[in-house]
Amino acid sequence: MSSLQPRVDAMKPRQAGPTRTAPARPPDQFPTQGRYRSYVAFGSCGIFLLLSGLLVLRAVWALGQGPAAWERLQHDFAHPAYLVYHVLALVGIVWFTLRFFRLFPKTQPPRIGPLRRPPDAFFRVALNGAFVVVTLGLVLVLWGVLP
Amino acid sequence: MLKLEPVIWVLFGAGMLVGGLLLPAFILVVGLAGPLGLVPADALAFERLHALVAHPIGRLVAAAAIALPLWGGAHHLRHVWIDFGGLRTDGWVGPLLYAVALVGSVFGILAVVRL
Repeated sequence: MSSLQPRVDAMKPRQAGPTRTAPARPPDQFPTQGRYRSYVAFGSCGIFLLLSGLLVLRAVWALGQGPAAWERLQHDFAHPAYLVYHVLALVGIVWFTLRFFRLFPKTQPPRIGPLRRPPDAFFRVALNGAFVVVTLGLVLVLWGVLP
Repeated sequence: MLKLEPVIWVLFGAGMLVGGLLLPAFILVVGLAGPLGLVPADALAFERLHALVAHPIGRLVAAAAIALPLWGGAHHLRHVWIDFGGLRTDGWVGPLLYAVALVGSVFGILAVVRL
C-alpha cells in the first residue's frame, strides 16, 4: 500500500486467523469521491455538534454568572470569527440533521418492540415535521415572539 | 471501553436527535441574529433569558442541548478518526473525546443547577 493512501486497520483482526485474508485497504473512492464524500462530511459534522454544545454551555454558564458575563458573551459572539463559525455550524447541523432523518428509516427493524415497523413515510413526516416545529417554536421563543 | 459501548451508543443517538432539533434555533438566534442586531433588544436581555432558562423546563432543555450533542459529536469524530487514522491511535483519541463530552456534561449540569 502506498504511504499516500490512508491507513485502514479498523477492520483488521487483532490476531491473525487461520484463514489467509487480503490486507485491509480503503475503498477506491474513499474519502472524497462517490458516496464516501457525503459519508465523511456527515461524520465530520460531529465537530459542529461538539463545539456548539460547548458554546451552549458557555451561554448558560454566563447566564448563571450575571448580566455582565451575559453582555460579554453577546459582545464576543459579534466577533467575525464567531459569526463565520455560526454560519458554518448552522448549515452543517441542518444538513446533518436532515440527512440523519433521511437515513433513519433504513436503520429500523421490522418490529419495534411489540409493534410492526411503520412505513418509511411515517418516519419522514414525523422526523422532518418535528424538526420544523421544534426549530420554529424555539426561534419564536428566543426571538421574543412567544413568551 | 467496550463495556461502555452500549451506553455511548444511546448517548450518541440521542445526541444526534437532540442536537439536530435544538441547536439550529440557538445558533440562528443567539449566535447570528442577536449579534447582527436583528433580534429585538429585550428578547435577548439577561433578565428575560435567565428567567426562561431557569424555568424547570428551560433547565431540562438547556442540559439536554449541552450534554447530548457533546456525546453525539464525540462519537462521530471518534469514528471519523478511526476511518482516517486507524485503530492504532484510538486508544487515546476515543477516551480523550469522551472525556471532553463527560467533563462538558458535568459542567452543563452544574451550569443549569446554579442558575
